Amino acid sequence: MTSFFENLISTFPAFMEAAWMTLRLTGVSLVLAFVIGLVFALLKVTGVRWLGLLYNGYVGIIRGTPLIVQIMWLYFGITQIVVLSAFWAGTIALAIHSGAYIAEIFRGCIQSVEKGQMEAAESLGMKRALAMRRVILPQALKRAIPPLGNQFIIGLKDSSLVAFIGITEIFSLSMDNAAVTFKQLEFYTIAGLYYLAMVTIVTFVLSRVENRMDTAK
Amino acid sequence: MIKVEKLHKYFDGLHVLKGIDLEVAPQEVVVMIGASGSGKSTLLRCLNFLEMKDDGRIFIDSKEVDPTTTPLNKVREHVGMVFQHFNLFPHMTVLENVIEAPVHVKRIPRAEAIKSAKDLLERVGLSDKGDVYPEKLSGGQKQRVAIARALAMEPSVMLFDEPTSALDPELVGEVLDVIKSLVADGMTMVVVTHEMGFAREVADRVVFLDKGLIAEQGPPETFFSNPQHPQAQQFLSRVL
Repeated sequence: MTSFFENLISTFPAFMEAAWMTLRLTGVSLVLAFVIGLVFALLKVTGVRWLGLLYNGYVGIIRGTPLIVQIMWLYFGITQIVVLSAFWAGTIALAIHSGAYIAEIFRGCIQSVEKGQMEAAESLGMKRALAMRRVILPQALKRAIPPLGNQFIIGLKDSSLVAFIGITEIFSLSMDNAAVTFKQLEFYTIAGLYYLAMVTIVTFVLSRVENRMDTAK
Repeated sequence: MIKVEKLHKYFDGLHVLKGIDLEVAPQEVVVMIGASGSGKSTLLRCLNFLEMKDDGRIFIDSKEVDPTTTPLNKVREHVGMVFQHFNLFPHMTVLENVIEAPVHVKRIPRAEAIKSAKDLLERVGLSDKGDVYPEKLSGGQKQRVAIARALAMEPSVMLFDEPTSALDPELVGEVLDVIKSLVADGMTMVVVTHEMGFAREVADRVVFLDKGLIAEQGPPETFFSNPQHPQAQQFLSRVL
């Protein structure tokens, strides 16, 4: 037990740096994923056939293949064509991956807004795009907050998979330490604790956001 | 004001409107009645293109509207609609609901839109509810806001799709009173309703639909006291 705390303390500076990397990977990839998801969901709900097929293709492929395969494919595939750092390869892979799930969240929430809302907006002379922006999306985005929060948490933990393309974040740092010290259990426990702490903070922030949205409509 | 010629509408092969001819004169109040499934709501929804006709012609403000070439949003600016389930925007206050279309569709300056909206809310008896969200309102209040919201676009005709059907009985009167005040102002209206007393009182003409066709129409006095069509007789004997 004493060795556990010694290890925890001695590796603290290195893990803080790794946690910062995890946070950057997660933050940047989720912002991109949010935009990707919203754009694809909007394409889907236009009802235009080929846009719907594009959406189905994207979501189908991404949800149908493992994230680790997508990361590897992007890192070893795209980097043959364009020069991309491991960080950006990882971030883009995470963004495209989460984007598919977030697109499904947005699509579901947009479609869950009662049909009468669009009808009322259109009956007032609003074009569909304006009605979407002013009437449908504000209601859909509010409904999307709880499932989005869930997806953000998944995204944070999924970032651990970029360890396998050589990015030093929490999980890869624990792998390295475990390999060097042979204290696998200790270092993977430490990794878990860092993730737990980060998820707890994110969960707290999300619940604050949800509460605020409820009182302000 | 509105003219419909040989209007046909199908839902998945079901023939719901079978060649409707209807004309509504300026300032006329036409009340459409009929059993559920007779096509009256569908006909009303065709008039502002929430449902698309399958065949026939529709004229609004004496101009033919062809949905493939006419921008429908422009047509709808002149055709107000009130729905059975109100369809207020829940994320906006009452006042925001009313100014939404004037500000974002007609591009009227916000201050001016607010001024007109307040007048409209006073007119429907809700001047104290401007800052309230719809969820805090009763059904009757919601429907009165919906009427004010439609009026804010200064439409040349108003369509009412069973405006009191979703209301508790004691709230029906306040909504009908507002609609009556529009009649008194000479607003052109097409109303689908199950309120026979109201139809009798305000209609210039009653149109009775049966199985997708206009079975009988005429002034309310003659229609209600002496219906000719057997289906109309049967319908009235059930609802009166």
